[in-house]
Amino acid sequence: MVRFKHRYLLCELVSEDPRCRACLEERVLFGLVRDAIARVHGAFGAAACAVAFTVKYLNAYTGVVLLRCRKEFYQLLWSALPFITYLENKGQRYACFFNTLHVGGTIRTCQKFLIQYNRRQLLILLHNCPDGEERESIKKSVMSCSLEEPQEDQLSGGGSEEDATEME
Amino acid sequence: MRSPSYLPCTLLGRRRLEGVEPAALGPEGLWLCRGTPALEMSNAREKKHAKKMRNQPTNVTLSSGFGAVDERGVKHHNGNEKSFQYQKQESHSGAPQHQQPKSTHVPSEPCMNEQPCKSQCRGEKGKGQAGWRGGHQGAAREIPKYITASTFAQARAAEVNAMLKAVTQKSSNSLVFQTLPRHMRRRAMSHNVKRLPRRLREIAQKEAEKTEHQKKEHSKNKCRKARRCHLNLLLEFNRRQKKNVWLETHIWHAKRFHMVKKWGYCLGESPTVKSYRASYRAMTKHCLLQDLSYYCCLELNGKEEEILKALARMCSIDTGLTFAAVHCLSGKRQGSLVLYRADKYPEEMLGPITFIWKPEGGTSTTPVNRKLWLWTHPTLKQDILTELKLVCQCVQPPEAAASIPEVVLTPHEEKSHIKQTENCKKRKRESDGEKNTNPVKKIVGDGTRNPFQPYSWTSSTTGIVVSDFTMEMNRYRLIGPLSHSILTEALKTASVYTEVEDAETVPHSWWVEACKNPDSVSVHHRQEAFFELLGGIASPAEFPAGTVLGLTVGDPRVNLPQKKAKALPSLEKCQDNEKVRQLRLEGVPVECAHSFIWNQDICKSVTENKISEKELNQMRSELMVPGSQLNLGHRESKIPILLIQQPGKVTGEDRLGWGSGWDVLLPKGWGMAFWIPFIYRGARVGGLKEALIHSRYKGAPSIPDDFPDCPAGILFAREQENNLLEKYKRHPPAKRPNYVKHGTLSPFRCPWGQLTRDWESRITTRAESLVSPSCSWANVKSDPGREDLCVVEDEQESKLSCEAETLKDKPGEPEEMMDTDSPGAAVAGDTTGEGVCGNDSGGTKGTFCVLRSRKLLKLLAAWCHPVARRNRVAIQASRMYQQQELTRATCLPILRDYPRSLVWVSLSLLKKGNPELHTMICIPSKDDILLLNEDRLYGGPQESRHSDPFKAKARKQKEKKTEKEQKQGGQHCAIVCAEGTPGLWPGSLPDITGHCSRTLLGFVTQGDFSLAAGCGEALGFVSLTGLLEMLLSQPADKRGLVLLRTPASLQYRFARIIIDI
Repeated sequence: MVRFKHRYLLCELVSEDPRCRACLEERVLFGLVRDAIARVHGAFGAAACAVAFTVKYLNAYTGVVLLRCRKEFYQLLWSALPFITYLENKGQRYACFFNTLHVGGTIRTCQKFLIQYNRRQLLILLHNCPDGEERESIKKSVMSCSLEEPQEDQLSGGGSEEDATEME
Repeated sequence: MRSPSYLPCTLLGRRRLEGVEPAALGPEGLWLCRGTPALEMSNAREKKHAKKMRNQPTNVTLSSGFGAVDERGVKHHNGNEKSFQYQKQESHSGAPQHQQPKSTHVPSEPCMNEQPCKSQCRGEKGKGQAGWRGGHQGAAREIPKYITASTFAQARAAEVNAMLKAVTQKSSNSLVFQTLPRHMRRRAMSHNVKRLPRRLREIAQKEAEKTEHQKKEHSKNKCRKARRCHLNLLLEFNRRQKKNVWLETHIWHAKRFHMVKKWGYCLGESPTVKSYRASYRAMTKHCLLQDLSYYCCLELNGKEEEILKALARMCSIDTGLTFAAVHCLSGKRQGSLVLYRADKYPEEMLGPITFIWKPEGGTSTTPVNRKLWLWTHPTLKQDILTELKLVCQCVQPPEAAASIPEVVLTPHEEKSHIKQTENCKKRKRESDGEKNTNPVKKIVGDGTRNPFQPYSWTSSTTGIVVSDFTMEMNRYRLIGPLSHSILTEALKTASVYTEVEDAETVPHSWWVEACKNPDSVSVHHRQEAFFELLGGIASPAEFPAGTVLGLTVGDPRVNLPQKKAKALPSLEKCQDNEKVRQLRLEGVPVECAHSFIWNQDICKSVTENKISEKELNQMRSELMVPGSQLNLGHRESKIPILLIQQPGKVTGEDRLGWGSGWDVLLPKGWGMAFWIPFIYRGARVGGLKEALIHSRYKGAPSIPDDFPDCPAGILFAREQENNLLEKYKRHPPAKRPNYVKHGTLSPFRCPWGQLTRDWESRITTRAESLVSPSCSWANVKSDPGREDLCVVEDEQESKLSCEAETLKDKPGEPEEMMDTDSPGAAVAGDTTGEGVCGNDSGGTKGTFCVLRSRKLLKLLAAWCHPVARRNRVAIQASRMYQQQELTRATCLPILRDYPRSLVWVSLSLLKKGNPELHTMICIPSKDDILLLNEDRLYGGPQESRHSDPFKAKARKQKEKKTEKEQKQGGQHCAIVCAEGTPGLWPGSLPDITGHCSRTLLGFVTQGDFSLAAGCGEALGFVSLTGLLEMLLSQPADKRGLVLLRTPASLQYRFARIIIDI
């Protein structure tokens, strides 16, 4: 099949300040990344990445962001991401950084990875949670998102970690 | 408190603090707002996109602030299946009640023991949701500084759910199995769920159910076997026959023909196989069979003088032989003529008919009642019937006692019959016999008749009974030289009972009775002898036209051949027979024209006593030697039939007798029994299209297409115009001819009324100009082509006008021509006075008529011949009719008598060209004829392209409209856009004769490449006035040359006009 091949970067926004998440919007993020690329790679890089660059998905609560770029130039985008150090919106400025979780060829693989990643996070959280009350609530949410799969997920989680691209 | 080190520390944050609003959201709340796809997308695309994206997660932002919101009293109806209500614990927060959305599959775990915790958590969730929704209301508050582990977990869980949905559920528009890679697909997956991998089966199942549901419900509630069971099939067929009458051969035709619903019948249009040339060949060399049972038969029963007296008012001796022709009156021949409304002769034509008189029985000394059958086309029947009733003074349905109760009875009868058939399923349709065929026919009628109307009318004064015999008889037409060999092979005359038996024991009592009568037996034997002789004659054209031969034949199904084979004439058998020679000369004598088919009772009994196909097959299977001849003995039916010779091409010089054949009249019910044997003898079957071709090659006008002056013809023209217009409109303007530019004013109909009127006005203006020569010059100048008409004018003047014409031709602007023409037309309107104003509608009856006077037509035919040829042919004619020379003086009385007449002409093209429907017949200018003289291969002149003023006008109006709209802001502008389709002349037509560079004479109604002549041939009408003018103006050796131009072409082609009598 003939199609444009893309690379999808699944990233996580990490910020000290929880208010930072309120600023996380598609438009803001788009400008931020574009500026970062222009700063790092110059006009060529900005133009190369601007082709088909979009924010495909964004979740302010979890800080998960899915960016799309053409396959040929995703390295430029990827290498520019660490240079984003703050998020600015409506005159407010919060320090943050991006943590790339996964680089995939389709949205679907990214979504699959995100499921596994989140499950793993929740399970680890559950393991480490000492408090009874908190533990219950976490357990409930874990159960709500995955009825019977946690065990399986644990098993497969180890395997998929290898093929998952590096985390910073 | 330990926080998991692997998590981003700030996000994990700390446990919830008192008084700080947590940023927790319900898992559903996170995903509630679905993104809207791009607004600029078109509706369908938008829908498709939305469908594709419906399972994909959308962005979640904390847009426009987020925080604790006071939402007291606001209820959120999320409309989910279960709702839990939790009391708020925190006094400062949110709504007292929350309808908890979907997070319902919380398993009841033993460890969930801390109720307060749970409720708190829920409360937080609910609150978060409220806050989320409240965010849209613009009630922004501060951002929480910390988040709890539980909210963190909930957010993750919600995301996981969304992603799961996106990943697992099919979101594209494709089917489930299409998501599989190709190597895993299997053939039967689309309909067999079990072929799919197990994980996809559930979804596929759902999908399959959905599509099945979407499919249209099957209306048939019975299985095919039940539907095809004979009784149900019969009921279904009866139901389907209610609207349109089916012929007896309908099922046979429906399997092989394109069927059309026409004139209240279901008729075969043309065979589904390619057969244009094959059917032509069949007509010329073999035999073409047609079912003409839809023709309507009207019977007149009464005293001969009374009938003749009444009918004499409806026809004229001018048009040829009438009902009183000697041959026809004796019953020996079939006659044909054109009927008019009583005493209206040249106008108000009703339609063409054929008729047969019943031969007089034996002694003709006493005036006995005679019968006359009129055969008409179904479109003409109603008019002719009413006029007949009027003429014969049959007003009231006479046999009130007889006919009406019978008719009223029929529905009841029918009902009981259906019940009966339900009871005994084995009965077959045909053999339902006395009840089925009759009531069905009566109930269904012929589509043009109300079943409760009487079909027989009598007159108290004249004693004539007019009856409608529609669908009472079958009429098959065999065309071609082999038709009577087919007849002689397929039909065997009935055997005469020599030993006298009891009439009761034999089913065919009428035949027994007839056999007792020595007279009828001798007649039968003579008929048999003549029928035998038929086999020795090469072509039906050798008989006198319209010969009638009555016969009584045996069941034709009995000697059906095993295989289909072509019947060939056995010429050597009786080639030099004296009798054959006599037969050719004199035809069949009157006695042999007698047939029992005239007797209604006998016909009825023949129909009732038909042995059904099934019984016949049963008997065949019981034969001792399989495949041997079936001998039915006395049970064999005797069927009275009537053979009528159809003359083929009777006019013109070449191919005389082409397309002649025989018509077979059968009593009803016997249609298929005769049809199949004919086909087994090699007859090819044609439909309506083939009938049209037949009449075209014969040079005869077809009904109702070529009778523009009868009501049916007018109706037909209107329908045809609508159809053609519809077809034209289906093409985009760039892919269809612009008829305005071609100078074709009416491509879809022939404006006969206007044509004749325009010619009349031309003549009158010219006559005026002759009277006052001072003003003539302006008129001549104004009208191109008029110089053609003026023979009397001196040379100089005509030359000048010729120049004027050439000047005129070059710009070719229709508007200007219209303007210059209009004063002349106005003058004409004043001078002719009566009727012109009333004729604006055009095409209404009475405005024009078709010339059918034979004397005049013969005169015209002779005039049309160029002199060189006339020497040979027409000199005898001139001797016979005291031929007048073609001069203006001889023309004047004709023009005076027939001011607005059309003449039926046939045209044959000199060289190239293929005439079509509505091709224009034009008068060639002098230059054209000169050019043709110089160059024998001259193809013909070309019309200069006309301009299309309407297009520019429409464009201008459109521009104006847009401007106005821009100015006034969408207000409706009062200017009505040029209505009508672009490419057609809108509104009423200007002077059609002078619209183009060559003066219009008439139109072609049938035209095509003729396989017989090898060149284009056409039939059509021209204006009598125009024809005479043309003939007067043309040199003697080029008389009768015209130009033809198809509506979508600018090229004129030369053709010769021939008037055939």
